[in-house]
Formats: sequence, structure tokens, C-alpha cells
Amino acid sequence: MTERTVKQHPLKLFSYTTHYFWLLIIPLVRSLYSISLDVDSLRVWLMGTWMDLLVIGAILIFAWRRWEHVYVRFDDKRISVTKGKIYSTCDVIYYDTISSLSVNQSLFLKLFGACTVTIGTNAEAISRAQDDISLTLRKSDADRLYARVKKSRAKSLRYSVTPNKVRLILYSFISSSTLSGTVVILAFLYETSRMFDREVEAQLIMDTLSDVVNRVATFVPPVVAGVSVVIIIGWAVSFMTNIFYFWNYSLTRCSDSLYIKSGLIERNRHILSLDRINSVDLRQNLISKLLRISSLHCDCAGYGETGRAETSVVMPIATEREVNSTVVEIFPNIPTESVYHKPKLDLKPTYQSYWMFYYAPLALALLPLTAFFILFVIFPSWRSVIRVGVIVAEVPAIWLTIVKTLAIFKTGIAVNGVDEGDVYITMRYSSFYTFHTVVVPKDRIVKVMIKQTYLQHLTGNCSAVIYTASRGTSKHVITGLRLNRTLGFFEKNGVDLYFE
Amino acid sequence: MRKYQPKRAALIVIDVAIVVLAILLTIIVVGYLSNYRIIMTLLLCLFWLAAILFSAVLLPAYFSRTVIYISPTDISMKTGIVYVKRHHMKADAIQYASTITTFLSKYTGLNFVILRAMGGTMVLPFLGLNDVREIEELMRAKP
Repeated sequence: MTERTVKQHPLKLFSYTTHYFWLLIIPLVRSLYSISLDVDSLRVWLMGTWMDLLVIGAILIFAWRRWEHVYVRFDDKRISVTKGKIYSTCDVIYYDTISSLSVNQSLFLKLFGACTVTIGTNAEAISRAQDDISLTLRKSDADRLYARVKKSRAKSLRYSVTPNKVRLILYSFISSSTLSGTVVILAFLYETSRMFDREVEAQLIMDTLSDVVNRVATFVPPVVAGVSVVIIIGWAVSFMTNIFYFWNYSLTRCSDSLYIKSGLIERNRHILSLDRINSVDLRQNLISKLLRISSLHCDCAGYGETGRAETSVVMPIATEREVNSTVVEIFPNIPTESVYHKPKLDLKPTYQSYWMFYYAPLALALLPLTAFFILFVIFPSWRSVIRVGVIVAEVPAIWLTIVKTLAIFKTGIAVNGVDEGDVYITMRYSSFYTFHTVVVPKDRIVKVMIKQTYLQHLTGNCSAVIYTASRGTSKHVITGLRLNRTLGFFEKNGVDLYFE
Repeated sequence: MRKYQPKRAALIVIDVAIVVLAILLTIIVVGYLSNYRIIMTLLLCLFWLAAILFSAVLLPAYFSRTVIYISPTDISMKTGIVYVKRHHMKADAIQYASTITTFLSKYTGLNFVILRAMGGTMVLPFLGLNDVREIEELMRAKP
């Protein structure tokens, strides 16, 4: 098929303008709107704003020149992106070297018939300064590119799955958090602040918030009402973002690629190269652990890095019974014993090291207590409010204590698949509130570090930090291991860390 | 397998730099805070205690406890003062190696080798210039 040359969607032109463009244009349009429609008023307006108009014109010309000189060419084998006229660069990527291709269409882009296309390759690992190829294309062009990359892949369908809607709602419910909701709100504010007046925006939000807080404050103390409203709004935003992103989720596996589609209003499509998936991660939080469900994630360059709500999910939700069969279907090379509910672990924490699991909960518990004493000294009359605040702030520490107590019995490292020839390392650990079961081919482990604090040195314990192949830094910390056993385990697996 | 250790000259250079910095801070503090004798005395004690701690205890311990072993297939390093760390990286995982050499580094030993793998980095600190060249050769010759 012949090579096709396309340009980016004209919407991209606005992302090439600077922030000052919006700061200049809004007051200008507002002042133009307020003048009466006669020649004298227009002349006065022009005399007052000619410099601003010149600057806006210059910004638009520079943005247009930049947009004009970006050419995207693609055929059946490769895509090339040429940028610039005087200083020109050309990035060429062959389809067989692509780790992930993502085509996303948010509601905003849908209104203008545009899509963002992001291509991830392992080459970025060599130079962090080099970004992904990220383009804003017309939907028809993005569809053609997606079809050509898809055409270059094997067509043998091996497995296809679509989780039912109830499960997706449950997954969105469990994986929603106040923190991610707040991040989404902040990102939204940042985006809108580029287009609207900051004062108007801030006033609008504060008015809405204070109205809700006033209503809630009729039956609970104002401070508790304020905190509760922020937590509930943050959580609700996170929940809705997840629902919108994962609705209509479907996964299809062919012999060399994974195809993932999802989205309720926005539409997201991804192609992942199976041989470029560095590791597989089964994640659970405390609630999903109690409900015996988990979500399957993977590390593949470019996937899970292209949007706010997007994560590196391969299978949003699977029960413990289904996990084995799901992993076998999606990643047939991974030994089944790697993801068993109760796998045989070669290295486990010893009882002398159990205390190490409580460092983080202890620190988290001490922070509000310290704040309580300081605030109590400064504001003695606010004692009851501060006490309520401290009790609320201690909840995460108690939650983390429960997580870490469970983690003691789940943490460890195992080697699987030695008989089959493909050796995989399974790492089970907890990071903050999440339980991880990471399965990685042995040859994708790039670095191992054994770390000992002074106390661990005295008790003969250590923490193993295992770095796996990834575009960024991907490290897995398995804590509470016996030093001599750990050194022996790694030596048996070709990592000699003995120094004496 | 070759064994490397940080060059002692680098320790001397850093010690001298710490003492010079402490003297400069002393001059500034005495110049500006002579009217507040208690604060001045506390700050001077703090600066000089930190200087002595670093130059006489922490840095010598760091230099003597850092050992690097390099073979054509493996790179291992043991280091750390409060935290003892044992690093290991397979040579075939290395994507590329960077070397940082500073002015007069042949004498000062302020040379570093940074080994970058896909997903992890290893910094080999304060090496002699000849050691750096040797490691570069080893990296070029890796299978």
C-alpha cells in the first residue's frame, strides 16, 4: 500500500501557543464585546490594544508555522514524523519495534473529530529526554494508522474477554481513591485555567464548595463538614473517571499482540506487543483482598502513561479462581504456579523481621499525634475540633497497620518454570496500601540491590530491591528477608552478591 | 574479575572543600551575628560538628567500605554507611555507560561511571582516571 502523508489536526495549533495567548485574548475579547458598534469606539479600542493584538498575531503565526511543518507519513511498515523547517528532525518507527500504540478520543476531542495517538517503544529507555511520539490527528487518519499497525500484526485470534458491567462498576468502586480524584480535579483546573480567567474559576469553585459545606455543616461540625465534602467529591470524581474509562472494556489476544478497547463517552484503543511486556502485576487492595478479587496490570513502554485516568490494566477485575486461567490465556509463557493464590515461596520474611513491616504505619500514626500536640499548644480552645481531626487522621495509619500485618504472611520471592526452561521470578510484596504479585522473566531483571539498615545488620535481616526492565525506574522492594538465605537464593539464580 | 575502590585523593579534595566551606560560613556568621552571641555560638558549633562528622567519620567510612567488582558479565558494588547496600547488575542489561570526568580528575579522583540499564541505574563513584578508562574498555568488550 502507498505511503500516506497527513498533517496534525488544526486543534493541535492551540497547544503550540503559549499560556500568555489565553491571558491576552480573553480581556481583549471582553473589551471588544463591551464597546458600542461604531467606528470611533473601534478606533479607540484599536489604539488601546494594538500592542496586544500584535503579540497575539505573532504567537498565532509562530504556532501556525510550527503546526504547518509537522508531517506524519505512514505506510504498511513504518511511521515517520518530520518536524521543523530550519531545524528539522525526523523520527522513524517501524511497526515491529512498537511496544504500544494508544489511540484516545476524549469528549473534548470528539467534538472536533480529533484523536491523540501515542506510540511507545523501548528506545526511550536509552534517552529519557526523548519523549514518546505523541500526535493529535483527525479521527479518520488515526483510524487508518491504527488499521495499518493492526494489519502488520498476526491475525490469529487466541482469546477474547469482556468483563460484565457489574464487575466494572465494582472495580471502579474499589480502585477509586480521594487522592486520584483530587489529582483529576487539579489537572482539570490546570487545563481550564489556561482558557478562562483564574479569578472567575476560583470564585465559582469556592462558591460551589462553600454552598455544599454550609448544607452539610447544619448537622456536623464545620471542619468535619469541609473535610468530608473534599473527600467525597474527590472520591466521586475518581469513581466517575474510572467508570467512564473502563466502560465497554474488551481485551483480545492474538499470537503476538494484545488489543484493548474501552470507554463510555471517550474511546480508547491500545495495541500492545506481547514480547515487549516486561512484567505482569496482580494488584489487590485490602477490600479486594477480602472480596478475593484482583486486577491484572502489565509493564509495557507507553501503555498506562498517556492519560490521567488510564492505568496499565490488562484485566480490570478477576476473581481468585479466574486469575490462573486468565493469565494462562493472556500470557501463556508464564508458569501457572506463579500466580497461585497460595504459591510456594522460596524466600519469606522471618519472625525476627516482622517489626520492619510496621515502620510506615508507625510514622503515619505519629504525624497526626505530633500535629495534635503542636496545635493544642497553639490553639487550646479548639481542643475538641483538633481531637476529631486527629481521630480521622489516624484512620489511614490503622488501615495501613492491617495491610502490613496481612503483608507479613504474603511477602516473598519464588522461582518458577525452571523445568520448562523459561525461568520466571515471582515477587509478592505490599507497597503502601496495595498488594502486588509481580511475575517477571528472569532475563528482564536488570539490577538487584540488597539493603541493610543498622538494625537489620544487627539482626541479620535485609530488604531485597529488584529492578525490572521498564522505561522508567521499576523497583520492587521485598522486606524482612534473612540475609544469608537471600544471598544464597540470588547466587543460585546467577546474581553473586557475596563480598567476603 | 577486577576490583576497584574509590580513590583516596577524592576524599582529601572533599575534606578540604568541607573545611573551606566551614571557614567561609564561620566568617559570615561571625560578621553578621556577632550581636547575637548564643545563636552565633550554636550555629558555629553546628557547622563545625557537621564538618568534623563528615570529613572525619562518614566520608572515610564511605570510601573504605565501597568496593566494586567488575567482570565481563557482572558488575557488583558494596557501599553505604548507615545503610549497607549490595548492588548487582548483569553486563548484558546495560544499555549504555556514561563517564563523568572533572577538571584535574587525574589527580583529584573526581570521576564517575554511570551504568544505565532499562529500568535501573548504577553509579560507580570517585574512581581514578585509569580505572575509568579500564571500565570503558571492559564495557566495550562485553559480550
